[in-house]
Amino acid sequence: MTEVAISRLPEAPLHVVEIWSNPQDVAQRFAAAMGFALPAMGLSASNDRLGLMRFEPSVWLAEGDVSGLADILAENGALTEIGGGVVRIRLSGAGWRALLMEAGVFDAEDPNFGPGCTAATLIDHVNVRLHVVAEDVCIAYVPASYSRALLHFWDEAGKTLTA
Amino acid sequence: MTAPRRAAKAATLNFTFDGKAYRAVPGETLAAALLANGVKLVGRSFKYHRPRGIMTAGVEEPNALVTVGEGGRREPNTRATDVFVYDGLVARSQNRWPSLRFDFGSVFGLFSKALPAGFYYKTFFGSAKRWMIYEYFIRKAAGLGNAPTEADPDRFSHRAAFCDVLIVGGGPAGLQAAVEEAEAGKRVILVEQDAILGASLIRDPQTLDAGWVEATAARIRKAGGRILTRTSASGYWEHDLVTLTQLCVEPGQTAENRLAQRLWRVRAGRVILATGSIERPIAFANNDRPGIMLSQAVRTYIRRFGVVPGQRAIIATNNDDAYDTADALIAAGANVVAVLDARETASGRAAHAQAAGMTVHLGAVPKAAKGGRQGVTGLVASVAGATQSWAVDLIAVSGGFTPVVHLHQQAGGTLNWVEEAQAFVPGSSRQNVTTIGGAAKPEAVGVMRPISQPKKSFIDFQNDVTLADVDLAWAEGYRSVEHLKRYTTLGMATDQGKLGNMAALGRLAEQQGVSIPEAGLTTFRPPYTPVSMGLIAGPGAPHGGAHIRRLALYDLHAAKAPIWQPLGYWFRPRAYPQAGETLATAALREARAVRTSVGMTDVSTLAKFEITGPDAAAFLEIICATSVAKLAIGRGRYTFMLREDGLAFDDGTVWRLDENRYLLTSSTGGADRMATHISYVRQYLCPHLRVSAVNVQEHYAGIAIAGPRAKQVVEGLIGQDVPRHMSAIAASIHGLPVHVLAASYSGERAFEVYCSASEAPSIWAACEAAVLAQGGCLYGLEAMEFLRIEKGHLVVGGEIDGRLSPYDLGLEKMLNKAGGFIGAAGLGRPALRGKGRRQLVGLEAIEGNIPEGAMLLSAPNAAPQGHVSAAAFRVLEGGSIALGQLINGFDRHGEEMIAASPTRGQSARVRVTHPHFYDLAGERYRD
Repeated sequence: MTEVAISRLPEAPLHVVEIWSNPQDVAQRFAAAMGFALPAMGLSASNDRLGLMRFEPSVWLAEGDVSGLADILAENGALTEIGGGVVRIRLSGAGWRALLMEAGVFDAEDPNFGPGCTAATLIDHVNVRLHVVAEDVCIAYVPASYSRALLHFWDEAGKTLTA
Repeated sequence: MTAPRRAAKAATLNFTFDGKAYRAVPGETLAAALLANGVKLVGRSFKYHRPRGIMTAGVEEPNALVTVGEGGRREPNTRATDVFVYDGLVARSQNRWPSLRFDFGSVFGLFSKALPAGFYYKTFFGSAKRWMIYEYFIRKAAGLGNAPTEADPDRFSHRAAFCDVLIVGGGPAGLQAAVEEAEAGKRVILVEQDAILGASLIRDPQTLDAGWVEATAARIRKAGGRILTRTSASGYWEHDLVTLTQLCVEPGQTAENRLAQRLWRVRAGRVILATGSIERPIAFANNDRPGIMLSQAVRTYIRRFGVVPGQRAIIATNNDDAYDTADALIAAGANVVAVLDARETASGRAAHAQAAGMTVHLGAVPKAAKGGRQGVTGLVASVAGATQSWAVDLIAVSGGFTPVVHLHQQAGGTLNWVEEAQAFVPGSSRQNVTTIGGAAKPEAVGVMRPISQPKKSFIDFQNDVTLADVDLAWAEGYRSVEHLKRYTTLGMATDQGKLGNMAALGRLAEQQGVSIPEAGLTTFRPPYTPVSMGLIAGPGAPHGGAHIRRLALYDLHAAKAPIWQPLGYWFRPRAYPQAGETLATAALREARAVRTSVGMTDVSTLAKFEITGPDAAAFLEIICATSVAKLAIGRGRYTFMLREDGLAFDDGTVWRLDENRYLLTSSTGGADRMATHISYVRQYLCPHLRVSAVNVQEHYAGIAIAGPRAKQVVEGLIGQDVPRHMSAIAASIHGLPVHVLAASYSGERAFEVYCSASEAPSIWAACEAAVLAQGGCLYGLEAMEFLRIEKGHLVVGGEIDGRLSPYDLGLEKMLNKAGGFIGAAGLGRPALRGKGRRQLVGLEAIEGNIPEGAMLLSAPNAAPQGHVSAAAFRVLEGGSIALGQLINGFDRHGEEMIAASPTRGQSARVRVTHPHFYDLAGERYRD
């Protein structure tokens, strides 16, 4: 049986970061303050306090301590809290890629979709954001209202991956 | 004549067919096992109930359709050639009564002359009601297997896959292509509908053998390729999307992990079709008798399964391939009495056979088979113009080869006619697909024209279509092959023209006096082989394909055993009945608590958007038809949204939380639509604005507290003064941050408390304790409906149904006079101001209770002038009231009408009123 462990992670502070003007200035301020550059589309970057995942051209999902981010954004962007509505689910083991192909539409089996990559996709009609954190670990950000149903779906699908 | 026999092998699997126990060897198909056990009669034909046996050894089998499995796993119309026997398999024949051997339906065969193609079009006239009677008997008399009535206990999976190259067909050509692509570094998927790869090499051993197959498969896997057996490519769609149907267990078999089948959606960079060819039968009288088989099928049963289907065989062919069958039969110990070769001159292969002592007749064409339900006993043929007959128990036929071009044509590919093969082969395609192997280059054959009695010469065995039916269709004016197909039912059901298409085209071309390609070609559509309904439904089948969305407070509600109400994908409490209460009594109690004391309800599902940025107000004034810019910090207002045509499609509230930060709420049911609308406005209409619009529907849970004592409850909870009506403050409950918005949907002083959904359970518990302490209770959607209808508040879907303008809804005064919002231009259309529009009204009953959804009539049997959009009772005083849409309704207050619901058989006399039945001045909102 292909191995995949599925677990719900504790709640984390999650924010939407949107930049609407002067993106280069914001990026410079961000890199100077945080010590890493704003990640490009489909990628993530982080330090020990904050991680950012870019899912849209001008939108990032921020996970962690966002203090100071409002100042960096200034009049060029906004920070909106969304953590109450998102459940993080950890998929680990060799089978996580195969599991995400179940009722999926995104090529999670692409070898290029490796650590540091992000994607926004649908799994069994549910909008899910994916973040590969290690070769054998992917974190899925799932709408809270669908989380129990999707966990059940993954638990069931996980039993049949090699069938 | 003796029964078919099988080489001595261990038959270890038990199975039953029509209740009789048999044994099979592992790896045998049901067809092979039945033949090995001497069972020749396996089915009855669709229309005439003619006895049928096994004709093929593959998915093209038209006759041996059986039902396998039991209970919810029962699968009808399974081809016996496409199910591998497992221990305990239960198979039953179909379309017969009372038994396969003695089938009363076979009486239809006696009247076959009266039942030609299209007979029902000419016979069953009359009203639709009469057709319902006809249909009942037609369905009883003809048809395939019956669908199971129990739920399928197994799982069905849908899985996506991506690859550089998808190869369909695991024969030698497909295997070779797959290994080359895989070892070139491509992501490869190889699919094979059989249980094993390279099965044709067992039927026709070449220099490549089973060892080569095994080694090649190992190389493919080593290079990272994926090989799927028992998997059919069932459909080829746009952009090289191919759907695969994988059998994880055999039909009717119990799956260890409950997974029965998997539907793959494969997006391929390139597709290689190595799908081979299907052998064609030959048309002659009684060519459907058990014991008449395709030549390659005979070879397959002998060499792959060790089953010799007959001991005294004759072979009819128009090509060289069938001579291999003669060799196989002789090698297996059978007697080949003759080979009837339709070609006038001997090919090299035929000459070789003659030299080896085989009896070969050239220019020989079968005319009629002899025999009955227990199998053939002889064959009559024309040999160089003279009639000869032979006593045989097996007739192997080969009328040439039809390349499997279904997927190529589904991909939009063209077909080219190859005269020497008398077959269509794949031509060009707009998609990235190529065909290799036998399907691209079929074997040369001689032309063979039927010389038999057309009425009993079958060309589509599954649908009982004969040469005579094609002739009749032609005689009756059906010229297009597509019309012919529909008139005769040719190529329908599981067969889909695999065996009969070319014979029908040949006959049609003959009638027209044109070549086959000129006669035309029917269209092959997905699926290539049948796909079970469970597989299409997939894993979501038990709940209609959609997950249930759970409220953040779901468990707290569930603990109180409410009556649930589906609302979109959500489930919300409709009422919290106490002992002995019905929905109506519980809802009325809850509503009265709100009117007299205090109640609380979960409003978390409302759509919510945070709009932030210096241009937030400007952005909202484009979305909302009311003004926003003048809102002071901490204030809110009712708002509504229009489509471009000026008609209202949603409503809600907008709150200014901070200088550049707003919260917009809108309806639950329209939440996804509103999210799309906002995204559209942001990205397409207003990319220049400095604004962020984020969907926070799930981030915030919402609790509404309403009633005369709501103020006391909320003040106690937040420890500070509550905001006045349509004002908002930031506060905390038990140390957790909340927004308190003073807004009322019920008509009472009310507050909506918004908090992070993850913190909602503890805040809900605090609110509930405070509400109960004030003598209040929880209330659900039903009570909310009572309250809002009495107050005259609108609901999206009911009153705001996409057909009414703000004028029709009485919202004109609230429109932003500065314009600029979406729908402002549309509102200027004179038609929206003209007479004859439906307008929002209230309705109160004079006699009877007003049925929801009823038509509004000025007199019995008059034309409807509107309808009841929502009905309820006055919460405290009683009496039936409703909201409705009525033509010119604003001018008709006081008029008496009839609210009639023919579907419910209910009606009431009503008086048209203002749509507000409670606290018209709005005094109860205020302290």
